[in-house]
Amino acid sequence: MAEHHDQHAIAYKTYVMTWVWLLVLTALALGVGYTQINEKLKAFLLVCTTLAKILVIAVMFMHLRYEKLNLILLTFAPLVLAVILFSFTFPETLGNATHVLRVR
Amino acid sequence: MDSSIAEQQRILASDWGGGKSPFGTSWSKFMMWIFIISDALTFAAFLITYGFVRSISPEWPKQTEVFNMVLITFMTFMLISSSAVMAMAVAAARASNPKLAVRFLALTIVGGWIFLGSQSFEWATLIEEGARLTHNPWGVPQISAAFFVITGFHGFHVFSGVVILAIVALRAALGKYSADGVENAGLYWHFVDVVWVFVFAFFYLL
Repeated sequence: MAEHHDQHAIAYKTYVMTWVWLLVLTALALGVGYTQINEKLKAFLLVCTTLAKILVIAVMFMHLRYEKLNLILLTFAPLVLAVILFSFTFPETLGNATHVLRVR
Repeated sequence: MDSSIAEQQRILASDWGGGKSPFGTSWSKFMMWIFIISDALTFAAFLITYGFVRSISPEWPKQTEVFNMVLITFMTFMLISSSAVMAMAVAAARASNPKLAVRFLALTIVGGWIFLGSQSFEWATLIEEGARLTHNPWGVPQISAAFFVITGFHGFHVFSGVVILAIVALRAALGKYSADGVENAGLYWHFVDVVWVFVFAFFYLL
């Protein structure tokens, strides 16, 4: 029973550490957001911190580390589909598309 | 002939041969994951649309001049913290300690309410400044459209999450309690946190 109890104490400690890491990554994202750098580099760095954060949440908090590979692969579906949607729509914004509605 | 029988036997012996659980979860947890995946696509569509209108817009207001970034950072902190406490509630539920689980759930709900309160304050402030779905004082109508739709939809998810967590906490307090139920509600809550990570980075910081 004591050993059982210790295990849960370890689980709580792990979650506290995960929380600290998430706060560190949030601070990092804030730092990137406030730095005066090239917009594209900024976007790339924010994608990196965001992916790191969602990985930490999914693996530690959503327990993906205990799940079967089948379920883990399934969770990548939205990410892949979002990348497809993005790459189909984004070229339209690059300026050579004449049918794009201009605002104002 | 022999090879086709061998192939059939190979398939039957695999995860997908029937009578097995290819995803290794309870049906309820699997359904929650399916819901999360479809909901993630909805938010992906919102955020990509926002990226699109922002890219074709000749200018975009500086977020630091429009939004109260201290409040936004505080809201982010609240949501991450409530997510961490939620994970502890699941651990307590798994350890068959409903009393502790209810306490952690209550803390999670408090975090959710603080987030919602802050967001209502943010909405009220911006509406008072003249921001509407179709126009705003910053010259680019798309920013307030994206703001109200994305944070509104996310806020509604937080609100639903608070309601679900309240039901789960009440059931746990009454002893009608299952660790799976707490974990499924937790999955939803963490997902709401994941969405906010995207909104925070790409709507407020980029």
